[in-house]
Amino acid sequence: MSQRPYTVLLLVPTGIGAAIGGYAGDALPVARAVAQVADCLITHPNVLNGAQLYWPLSNALYVEGYGLDQFAAGCWDLQPVRQNQVGMVLDQGIEPELRVRQLQAADAVRATLGLHLTDYVVTDAPLGVELRTARSGATWGTIQRPDSLLRAVEKVITQCKAEAVAVVVRFPDDTDSDLLQHYRQGQGVDPLAGAEAVISHLVVRTFHIPCAHAPALLPLPLEPHLSPRSAAEELGYTFLPCVLVGLSRTPQFVVRSEPQSGVAPRSHLITAEDVDAVIVPETACGGSALLSLSQSQSTIIAVGDNRTRMQVSPEMLGIRAVRVNSYLEALGVLVADRAGISLDALTASISTLRQQL
Amino acid sequence: MVQVCNHSRMATQFITVEIALPDSPAALRQAVLAELQTHGEPLRWAVTAVDSAGQLAQVEAIVILST
Repeated sequence: MSQRPYTVLLLVPTGIGAAIGGYAGDALPVARAVAQVADCLITHPNVLNGAQLYWPLSNALYVEGYGLDQFAAGCWDLQPVRQNQVGMVLDQGIEPELRVRQLQAADAVRATLGLHLTDYVVTDAPLGVELRTARSGATWGTIQRPDSLLRAVEKVITQCKAEAVAVVVRFPDDTDSDLLQHYRQGQGVDPLAGAEAVISHLVVRTFHIPCAHAPALLPLPLEPHLSPRSAAEELGYTFLPCVLVGLSRTPQFVVRSEPQSGVAPRSHLITAEDVDAVIVPETACGGSALLSLSQSQSTIIAVGDNRTRMQVSPEMLGIRAVRVNSYLEALGVLVADRAGISLDALTASISTLRQQL
Repeated sequence: MVQVCNHSRMATQFITVEIALPDSPAALRQAVLAELQTHGEPLRWAVTAVDSAGQLAQVEAIVILST
């Protein structure tokens, strides 16, 4: 007898200093482990992107954060694909040599991995990224010319026929900042991450198309004491390969209220109702996706040792969650949940049943 | 689906707001969205802290302004 696929959503929000997943794709080992337990893993670029490093997971769906929020809210569904034609948008603010580095990375994934890429578009103005840190410690940012970004994305979709969009924006080389130095030591908050999320959210919100971002930066001076968690971003000249790989098989969004051509039958779509379990850092329970799913039948697993700069536990918001110390414990909860085994039955003491009055 | 839009008058802004904690997490999401929509179109947000004594949720957000 077949059962429906066991579906797990793994969340490590970007730009909040997560001890695991707050650096250079360093939650990817967690994703690999969860993918062994789940039939379907849904997660987001911050978890799977390791700059030059990535790991193909045949049962994982790479879903950008804004789309993930809409999915969790039941507004959008996910339509898995065999492949997407990925188009690139490059910031006009990228210097010529650095632009060539991005284009060579794109050619490399075409020749070496066989990915389908369209022609690319350069924005009609430098996008002008500004980076900020909020009072909570989370990073965020803005671009001065969102209009130019969105015009370029529209062009790569309509003229180049891109089905997913990789955006490469020139970010500031703030090599002396304390934030960057801490990040390279595997401490503190990723100074770029919040602004990256704003860029991809703008594109996904506007066009309902998968998108992910890779920053364009000059190589940093050699740091002999670099943290292993940050090391993946210092292997080469671009952060682009993982983004192109992720987007090549990212699911398409299907907006529930809009009839769309070429959409698979509903039974082939993945919906919020399909999510069996959600894994989230214990102090980061205040995001849109988790609030949406907290009212569903999903088992919510809050991981204690993935500390973040957020201060929102499940109890504070009335979210019923299974608290665990580590991702190793979370994997055990998933195994039991998938098998339909009560977690209480795996502990030393089980309370007796009481008569309901 | 491609939307042909006028992108020329758009800006993003960071804001912080406080929301009175409602009864349920789902109601909190709706309350946050409603409050943010008085400032702009919500793009990215999270409850970053909770004042349990005052029953207030602190929210940091990026909203889109159409000027």
